[in-house]
Amino acid sequence: MEFLNTFINGLSVGGVYAMIALGYTMVYGIAKMLNFAHGDIIMVGAYMIVLFLPINPIVAIIAAIVLCALLGIFIEKIAYKPLRGASPLAVLITAIGVSYLLQSLAQAIAGPTTYHPNPLEKLFPKFMGEPTYGIIKIGAFQIKLSTLITLICVALVMIGLTLFVKKTKIGRAMVAVSEDKGAAQLMGINVNNIIMITFAIGSSLAALASVLTTFESASVETTMGSLPGIKAFTAAVIGGIGSIPGAMIGGIILGLVECFAQAFPRIAPYTVAIEFSLLIIVLLVKPTGILGKKRREKV
Amino acid sequence: MKLRKILALVLVMALCFGMVAVLSSCGGEKNYAENNEKIKIGISGPLTGGAAKYGIAVENSAKLAVKEINAAGGLNGIMFEVEMLDDKHDANNISTNYASLYEGGMQVSLGTVTTKPGLEFKGYAQADNVFFLTPSATGDDIPEYSNGYQMCFADSDQGTVSAGVFKDEFQGKKIGVFFKADDDYSVGIKNNFVKALGNALGEVKMASFTEATKSSFTQQVSELKDCDVIFMPIYTEPAALFMQQGKGIIKADAIYYGCDGLDGIDAEFDVSTITQGISYLSHFNSGATEGAAKTYIDAYVKEYGESAPLNQFGAAAYDCVYAIVDAMKYAIENNGAEITVTISASDLCNILTAVFNDKNFVFEGITGAPGENGKSTIKWTDAEGNATNGHVNKTPVSYTVKGVTVK
Amino acid sequence: MTFVKRYLSLAIIGTFTVIMAIMGFVGLPFSTVELLEKIAIAIILAVSLNMVVGFLGELSLGHAGFMCVGAYVGGKVAVLLSQSLGGTHIVTVILALVLGGSVAAGCGFIVGLPALRLRGDYLAIVTLAFGEIVKNIFENVQFFGGQTGLRSPQFIGKNRFIVFIIGFVLVLLTLFVIQNVVRSKHGRAITAIRDNEIAAKSMGINVTKYKLMGFVISAVFAGLAGALYSFTQSNIQAQTFDYNYSIEILVIVVLGGMTINGSIISAVLITFLNIFLQKNLGGSFAIAKDIIYAVVLILLVIYRNAPALKSFREKYNFQALWRKIFKRKHNPAKVKDDAARWDVVPTKIEMNEVLSTDVVIDKTGDNSADVGERGGNK
Repeated sequence: MEFLNTFINGLSVGGVYAMIALGYTMVYGIAKMLNFAHGDIIMVGAYMIVLFLPINPIVAIIAAIVLCALLGIFIEKIAYKPLRGASPLAVLITAIGVSYLLQSLAQAIAGPTTYHPNPLEKLFPKFMGEPTYGIIKIGAFQIKLSTLITLICVALVMIGLTLFVKKTKIGRAMVAVSEDKGAAQLMGINVNNIIMITFAIGSSLAALASVLTTFESASVETTMGSLPGIKAFTAAVIGGIGSIPGAMIGGIILGLVECFAQAFPRIAPYTVAIEFSLLIIVLLVKPTGILGKKRREKV
Repeated sequence: MKLRKILALVLVMALCFGMVAVLSSCGGEKNYAENNEKIKIGISGPLTGGAAKYGIAVENSAKLAVKEINAAGGLNGIMFEVEMLDDKHDANNISTNYASLYEGGMQVSLGTVTTKPGLEFKGYAQADNVFFLTPSATGDDIPEYSNGYQMCFADSDQGTVSAGVFKDEFQGKKIGVFFKADDDYSVGIKNNFVKALGNALGEVKMASFTEATKSSFTQQVSELKDCDVIFMPIYTEPAALFMQQGKGIIKADAIYYGCDGLDGIDAEFDVSTITQGISYLSHFNSGATEGAAKTYIDAYVKEYGESAPLNQFGAAAYDCVYAIVDAMKYAIENNGAEITVTISASDLCNILTAVFNDKNFVFEGITGAPGENGKSTIKWTDAEGNATNGHVNKTPVSYTVKGVTVK
Repeated sequence: MTFVKRYLSLAIIGTFTVIMAIMGFVGLPFSTVELLEKIAIAIILAVSLNMVVGFLGELSLGHAGFMCVGAYVGGKVAVLLSQSLGGTHIVTVILALVLGGSVAAGCGFIVGLPALRLRGDYLAIVTLAFGEIVKNIFENVQFFGGQTGLRSPQFIGKNRFIVFIIGFVLVLLTLFVIQNVVRSKHGRAITAIRDNEIAAKSMGINVTKYKLMGFVISAVFAGLAGALYSFTQSNIQAQTFDYNYSIEILVIVVLGGMTINGSIISAVLITFLNIFLQKNLGGSFAIAKDIIYAVVLILLVIYRNAPALKSFREKYNFQALWRKIFKRKHNPAKVKDDAARWDVVPTKIEMNEVLSTDVVIDKTGDNSADVGERGGNK
């Protein structure tokens, strides 16, 4: 029972990581850049929920997703697009600058107060209140509604993204751009538009992740995005960066490891070391991650 | 080869100069305060980053106290001012902040807002003999040297006193502890709590988190779900998250018991949505409705508005400024000390340490258990009149936010 | 321009010497001494990270991890020895530096091993992971002080010259060793691996050896910087060495254009900018310093790297200004003999992965991605 509990907790933590990792992997696959500002978009999304929650929870969720998508496009146009064709390191440093900027602007605008918004409680006030508190019980088995929603959302998004990339014209174009920008352009694909769409999708996935973290009543503060961002990057790499199912697998594995490590008081303080050691081991065994593809290199 | 020769030559020259530098040493103490027009109080604390709300509350409150004191005529006409620099809760920034404050004419200090930078700060302050009274750096080692004092309770005191409360109040209950494993405040209190509690209440269940795992406590909640009383020596944001995620899983009649870090939990989180009780042992209640604490809260809100961070850090800083000014008054009246606006930090330190170690110096403030006049009595000497090496002597109060009142 | 470049390190040495002289005779205020210490640490860290990023061409996000090892090991050694020898004894200092540096070197070797198998962003995340693991372990081991941090020997206070002299000597040592390695045949081998690993291998270069060498040299000096840092602090705390610190060093290196001289200049400027902002924007303006830093960072990178600004850059830059003032003629042939010019090849970051749904997409253009992507470099 204890084991099952920890397992479900792991799924719920991992689900959020997986959602962030999906956005990370999308942007990485197309733009070929480590978007360090991805975590901070989660933070912006969470503040949007704080801002719009008094109006209506659904409005808040939609506003968070739409505004984050617009923010993603804006950042891409202002900070990353001028550097297209420049050294990848320059883009990385710009992303770091954007991340600093978002954090400090958030503090300048929203102040240092921590918030705990929860749209789920507004959506289902009865079920989230006494006596059930949003917990679904089937016999001895129990799972939180937020966990269930997180897992369903992640699975849906993964399937949706897979279909989108495989079946739609834009999706195919994305694959083409990620394979070879120059060739894609020759085939009549508007590379700039595709990259813009990718950033919009990636950022709205980050916003969705922020919605899911607020379902788990996370503390909303200016630094909330940086660590989940790094963890999600780790998850994406474990699963094989660029691979959509890989991001989900990586996220869930990371969540499970985190929860099982915390279940033992003695090793709990070393959770971070264990998670990152897992990453190194996976990469040493399979250098491109679990589902990553090996590519041959030519001179 | 040419480069190497030049390098060697320069190296030798540099070493020679180095020797000269060491031998000649520093000539005499300089009084950086000689051009001051007001007595300068320096502080270093987090104004940006995750702990910003504590630093900002300290800055606001210290400035509020100084404004009130100056409006009331200052210290026999001597005015005060506050300068605060940002350390982001990182000890790496302390040398810069300290140098800038000290050379900018700081004569007395409130030290740092948090413990980790404070451990670095105290060394510099000792070297230059600068008096500091920290509002909220709770580490046991902060007042290690003779020039450092605390307005807050030290970690060991909080742990020990809490264990006493547990022994008195929670016999026969199952105890859990939820702490932050990479925070010295939390670990310090927890260790002393566990030590003082011993086996009095049977086995204590532990769950911890770190900075890197603070976004979800699902696992920790299920670890502690059978406990009747959960001791939480942590700050409000993780506590609020734990209580949220513990809804319906933690026993409905359980009690969350915390230390001064839990002050302000009801402002951050809607406590009416949980059934569990919340109590904490602290020196200030930011929801106070009477006494001197209420006067401070009203003045603070009037000055900085509703949205400014209000917590026990700020209240303690407010007390610190008043305590320092009171001590100066005391020194002038009773010890015949001469305090001018350009007094050097070192001279002022000697005057102030004498007062703070004096058993007759009693400060009336807003933190600690209020007496009949609504103010608490605060000393830095124990019942026998001996100096407590900088640790504060005041009565803690158990505040019950919700549920069964814990004494 | 060549003249300036070649003798930049000497110019720095000269400046240091002058400062030392002033210090000896007048006595500098502590704030200046402290600033110089920070600059010295930043220079050592930047130049040593440049070994991996600029010359070996691998992205490292864990440089602060090596520094952390050096700081804890060096600090602990100094603590143990200072009980019997005294904190400022020359043996204490040398042993602390040597042990801090060597344990960091060991870690550099360990991190170098995955580098043989991984590349690009995968290696970057491994180095980041290494930094976080080291930090996590040190903050939990009681031998090193656990949560409250390691109390290091008290060099602090008025007697800070010693630390400054050590810092000065270490900066010289770092420049001397790294410049010489880079200009030797080993350095040429290392840059050959950066430019094309397979080609280098086929030329008979021992890739394993040189990759490890790059990582170890880089780690040694980061460890020395850490030991030096431990002398400046009375309390070493693991949280200081998080990935944000590694990123700060990387920012210095990248803004310096991934050359040794550039790293030195940008280490000095960025450290100075940071400390200047921290000192002058306290109180309610504290948040403004973060915003200013971020905006300056973004604008600088875009100015330096944006392809669209290339002509603008060529027209308005320091070199052009220099030529204008001194009426010098631009002669590109003249700079060719300097090994540091090899830096013009940007660091390789392998972008091996394409977006995949793990369903086999038509195999068209399977291998072209590599060439296409990296083609931009050539």
